[in-house]
Amino acid sequence: MKKDSNVIELVNIGTVYEGERLPVIYDVNLTVKLGEFISIIGPNGAGKTTLLETINGLLSYDKGQGFVFGREIKKHKSEIRREIGYVIQNFEMDPLAPFLCKDIVMSGRTGKIGTFRFAKKSDWDKVWYSMGLVGMIDFAKRPIGKLSGGEFQKILLSRALAQNPKLLLLDEPFSNLDYASRKQVETLLNRIHEKYNITILLVSHDLSFVPSRCKRVIVLDHGKIVMDGGREKILKSDIINSIFNGKGEKT
Amino acid sequence: MIDFPSTLLITSILGALFAGFACSTTGAFVVRMNLASIGYLMSHAAFAGAAFGLMISIDPVLGAIIFSFGIALILGPLAEKARLESNIVIGFLFSFMIALAFIFLNFIPGNAASARALRILWGSIFSVSTNDLVMLSIFSFIIVIFVVIFYKELIAIMFNRKLAESSGINTRLYYFAILFLTGIAVSLSIRIVGGLLVFALIINPTSTAYQFFYDFKKIFIFSPIIGIISCLVGFWLSLISDFPIGASIVLISAIFFTIAIIFSPKRKRGKLKIHQKAS
Ligand SMILES: Nc1ncnc2c1ncn2[C@@H]1O[C@H](COP(=O)(O)OP(=O)(O)O)[C@@H](O)[C@H]1O
Ligand SMILES: [Mg+2]
Repeated sequence: MKKDSNVIELVNIGTVYEGERLPVIYDVNLTVKLGEFISIIGPNGAGKTTLLETINGLLSYDKGQGFVFGREIKKHKSEIRREIGYVIQNFEMDPLAPFLCKDIVMSGRTGKIGTFRFAKKSDWDKVWYSMGLVGMIDFAKRPIGKLSGGEFQKILLSRALAQNPKLLLLDEPFSNLDYASRKQVETLLNRIHEKYNITILLVSHDLSFVPSRCKRVIVLDHGKIVMDGGREKILKSDIINSIFNGKGEKT
Repeated sequence: MIDFPSTLLITSILGALFAGFACSTTGAFVVRMNLASIGYLMSHAAFAGAAFGLMISIDPVLGAIIFSFGIALILGPLAEKARLESNIVIGFLFSFMIALAFIFLNFIPGNAASARALRILWGSIFSVSTNDLVMLSIFSFIIVIFVVIFYKELIAIMFNRKLAESSGINTRLYYFAILFLTGIAVSLSIRIVGGLLVFALIINPTSTAYQFFYDFKKIFIFSPIIGIISCLVGFWLSLISDFPIGASIVLISAIFFTIAIIFSPKRKRGKLKIHQKAS
């Protein structure tokens, strides 16, 4: 079965973690078209990370069917992943970690280059280009552990971009950033979306940062999609207030 | 000092050199991937396996390889599952391996039993056979090929396994390859360095290199260099002082590590050096 027109097509998806009984996300139906820029918002523990990792196959779903680029996720994991750029939720980086930024950005291309092949000049060109895109070219030879939160986030983003992805999955790219860096990353995402028409799914627990080019917002709560629609409508609705319990930075 | 035939001396020196290379190169993975406790267990399993080999009169290296592969097969899948308390399992298996080793040692046949048993505990530079040397050099060659061919995958995995997996690498394959390579490195070196101390030769050189470099390429280059130097100097120390070879090697590598910690540029605060740092 092939579903060609959509980038993502999830039908009644449910994902259970190993050793758990109850699914963390369930009855998830989601259709994403080429070039869409979508924000998925929901409080901590809503299942946002789980949803993203179900889409790129890091977690396998137990119910329903999932397709990415018209291919069933379970059967074509590694091919699908080569076309997906994933920016992982913030993780601790050992300050002494022995990796240079350029090598981390290059590591995004590993799957694309393929086993038994070596990085060519054209691969390095992609690396320099995507580091330039996020304005981090001067950091190429800096150790990865010595970056600020915003710089690290930008390197992870450029790592994903170096992959030339058709789909970008961003897990809380604004967390741990101050206002100025958030703005920078937001502008960057808008620009990338405008320029390359990449399909973007952006996960955030914070209502106040929905980038301007993002026209569709999905609200996830307790593992279910509770709202899905145009940005204006959703951000103004009442349900959002109750879900975020007045904790959303903005209403 | 005693006089040795020069071929024996050369065999021993080469043995020390290759053991240093093999252990400290796999160490680069073990240190970065937090496999220290698995590796530690593995070296003791290899020890038990070597004792087992002596007991049933096969090559102790073969016994060591079988046992450490067993550990890789049991613990690899366990350690992958975050929910399982792999530390508890490691603790349990660790004491179990030591117990097995002592039982096997007890049943080693022949009069020279205690001497041979002690050798795989402490290590002995002159028990290196040409056969061992051939295996060690082939293995060293395999490791070099492995690192060169899969360099980009290894870097990606060592930075972050989940991200590596998400860009299309089958990380489990590499993870297991690394466990098995570590098992072989430990097994082949056990006769030289000894089962109790071989693990230090895996950890110390890489940890030393870690104090100086931010580029993994350099860790891959310098950790074997430090490992080899530790082994050669340790060998010399053992010759002039009659210390057991394993202890000498570990002593030297520990001294290197201590010096590295003290003089590490990574741990120094730059004096009056203005570091440009964006917020
Ligand atoms: N590895 C895991 N095993 C079991 N439960 C998990 C695991 N990871 C996350 N969960 C649970 O799944 C729920 C959703 O987690 P997650 O998708 O990370 O939420 P979010 O990203 O929206 O904060 C949480 O209740 C969390 O406790
Ligand atoms: Mg999350």
